[in-house]
Amino acid sequence: MKKYLPFILLSTSLMASSLTESVKRFTWDDQSVTWLRDDKFPRFSFSIYFEGGALGEKIPGLTHSTFDLLTAGTSRENQNQLNEFFEFYGARLKSNVTHETSILTLSGLIKDLKPLTQKFCEVLKEANYPMDKVSSYQARAKSQIKSLVNSHGALADRAYRRLSLKGTPYELPVEGSLETLAQIETKGLKQRLLELRTFKKRIYLSGPKEVLELKDYLTSDCLGKGETSLSQVTLKKPEPQDVIYLVTVPEANQAQIRLGRYMTRPEFQAKEDEFSFFAGFLGGGFTSKLIQELRVKRGLTYSASAYVSGLRQYGRAGVSTFSKNETATEAINVIRDIFDDLIAKKILPEELNHQKGFQKGSHPFQFEDSQLLLSQIAHLDLMGRPMSDLVDYPQKVDSMTINILARSAYEIFPWEKQTIVVVGDKSLEKSLSKIRPVKIIPYTEFL
Amino acid sequence: MRFLMLLCLVLGCTTQKSRPSLSNSVKIDVHKQQLANGMTSLIIQDNKLPIFSLYLFYKVGGKNEKLGITGASHFLEHMMFKGAKKFGKNTLDFIIEGSGGNTNAYTTNDQTVYYENLPANQLKTILEIEADRLENLSLDKEDFEKERLVVLEERKMRYENSPKGQLYQSMIQELYKGTPYEIPVIGWIPDLKKVSREEIHAYFKKFYAPNNLVLVLAGDVETTAAQKMIKDLFEKIPASPSVAEAHAALKDEDFTPKLVQSRELHVKGESPNPLFMMAYPSVKLGHADGFPLDIFSSILSLGQSSPLTRQYILRPDPMATSLYAAHQQLEKSGYFLLGGDLVNGIKIPQFKKDLQEKLSFFCENEVTAENIQKVKNNYLLSFFSSLDSNAGMATFVGDREQLLGDWKFYQKELELYEAVSVEDVKKSCREILKKPSVFVTVWNKNK
Repeated sequence: MKKYLPFILLSTSLMASSLTESVKRFTWDDQSVTWLRDDKFPRFSFSIYFEGGALGEKIPGLTHSTFDLLTAGTSRENQNQLNEFFEFYGARLKSNVTHETSILTLSGLIKDLKPLTQKFCEVLKEANYPMDKVSSYQARAKSQIKSLVNSHGALADRAYRRLSLKGTPYELPVEGSLETLAQIETKGLKQRLLELRTFKKRIYLSGPKEVLELKDYLTSDCLGKGETSLSQVTLKKPEPQDVIYLVTVPEANQAQIRLGRYMTRPEFQAKEDEFSFFAGFLGGGFTSKLIQELRVKRGLTYSASAYVSGLRQYGRAGVSTFSKNETATEAINVIRDIFDDLIAKKILPEELNHQKGFQKGSHPFQFEDSQLLLSQIAHLDLMGRPMSDLVDYPQKVDSMTINILARSAYEIFPWEKQTIVVVGDKSLEKSLSKIRPVKIIPYTEFL
Repeated sequence: MRFLMLLCLVLGCTTQKSRPSLSNSVKIDVHKQQLANGMTSLIIQDNKLPIFSLYLFYKVGGKNEKLGITGASHFLEHMMFKGAKKFGKNTLDFIIEGSGGNTNAYTTNDQTVYYENLPANQLKTILEIEADRLENLSLDKEDFEKERLVVLEERKMRYENSPKGQLYQSMIQELYKGTPYEIPVIGWIPDLKKVSREEIHAYFKKFYAPNNLVLVLAGDVETTAAQKMIKDLFEKIPASPSVAEAHAALKDEDFTPKLVQSRELHVKGESPNPLFMMAYPSVKLGHADGFPLDIFSSILSLGQSSPLTRQYILRPDPMATSLYAAHQQLEKSGYFLLGGDLVNGIKIPQFKKDLQEKLSFFCENEVTAENIQKVKNNYLLSFFSSLDSNAGMATFVGDREQLLGDWKFYQKELELYEAVSVEDVKKSCREILKKPSVFVTVWNKNK
């Protein structure tokens, strides 16, 4: 039977049955739980998604610091004792904060589930953020921010965020800035942890059936009774300026280029799948439009990518690449030509079919890694979409057309709506000014 | 046959201090095939998802190059994607990505590795592609010149515009001065600008041969059918008569660092805070003396409870924002490495002196049974992580087959790690710390 079914149909039906068999949903103590059964190794992992993130925090960077410093100490144990405990078991306690969610993940060997989870609960309830540890953390975080000049790509991402989202609650990165980090102290961290504990939560587990013993530990006593939802914000759409922002760094012989725009939720909500497909066409993979035009045909860069993505209340679209100083302007002009051609429907049927093959054929890879699969399910939950969308994506890809690609390009990347940021040497000003007037900002403004 | 795992649950571990045995926790089912022309293939069958990973390990890297053609291995890696006789210019990426796959490659001092992750129905196609480019690589002139520019841009990105890249390159050149490992894998700029297509072609003919290749296939394949396919496509490709001689000419002693006394180097770079590396010459990959040093490096820097982190980072006045220790082993030689990002205001000579004193102290006082067990627990989880995907399994067995002569070497590794005692680690760290070292910093305040 296997060899006669069309491959994609077989894959989709395999994925659907695989998902149904492996993923179970239930409720523990009024908290929604998703379990991905994984018997491959004797290990477990759980992630707690708090329905609140950097949005609504009193000081930018506070939520991120609250989770980063969770093991700084409790009333019973100091930082070293807590770190020793988790690390002896080989356990990993990680956090990931976005503007809209905060995630705590703990993983380890299944045999160590009980002691690890008990300690996790203890820390989540009793973290006391000793000020000496907070000060040490601040000093390190500041040093890391200052050393961003070592990584022009990371600096470009940061500057692009600040400039393209200016005036919105999403402007600052979740880690905060040099200025805001200095305001963080013990009382504020404790308060923020209390607030986070009141947020609604969703739990995602992976591991063999023994992982279900977590039910006895991940209770509302451990995690906090969750009643609060994501705070709603009123978003004023930032208006792009008709300039190129040149963020100067000393002695750079390459220019990092970022361009794109902010999107409102209504702009991308109904078209998420179309935009996702379009982003892959534009900048996903070696055969994408950007790589072919910038690298393969012209040798202007080593890498280029595009994205269109969103959280619940906002979205972003962008292109990211770099080129040597002499060809930075040419690279930007090539990107503009790509946008114009796409809007004008200069897309060959074979290009569309190629991208369809790529996105459908690569779909089974989403199911290979348990953590990746669970994070995708979690994202669908966050966006209020059914889990079946994960399985159905290949069918949606089949429905994509040249018109959809052109319309996506028109809606997302009309040139006049793009914020353009270049991180590089001041000498770029002259050539960039042929595209748009240039506004120079030193990189220190974005630290 | 399913990929087999023995669960450490079977071993009945019950207490915090008793742990699963490393050597009994990992078992892999591999089918090995040797062709008449000297090529080796390894197959791991896992039919869970309709995908597979194909890895090709060519035993050629930076160490095989000479002045005038430095960077040839890496340049060739780029050219291998530019077309061959049957699958011509610009087709390879389109075929692979058009079916949903992805492909890439990397070059080290010792190897060049190509890999593809593909849907299961693409096996025959990708094997044909690999056989075609092994036998009939085009090296188109126009593509050659375009790719030269791309490689030069990549060099800028990784080294000239990256203080961390500068740091690593300076350290390696100083440590391995006068040996083939001194040559940067990406090559020297004058060579990259001048190397000819004919020189690269000659290099290709010498080293790209079935008797210099280990092919690994992991995923949804049927072993017998796959082995037949490999034999039909690859066995007719002639072996290279000169590759064995080329490898035999590289003696281990030629790669031993010629350091007779410690050296210090301070490089001016664009980092606003000092970055440092300190390296001691050590043993080559697979050497029994390397295992205690692996454990010592992990004791020093694994996790927030590690002595390096406690001593220099988690303190009221942090001296560093990040620190690492690693035992890096290449095919012919190795080095014990420490490094990190220091905060501004640190006096480098005092820091270096203090670090050297502390290393001796840690050797005597932090090498305990508990810390060794902590490292072993973490290694077990790392082994699981590395075997968690088709790609991970392919890399795991392929590296060992090519560089250590036997994919089953991991069993010996696990036994050796299991057997490492406090005395073994102390003996190793005392010996390594007596050796001359190379100490390098990169900082914008260096002259």
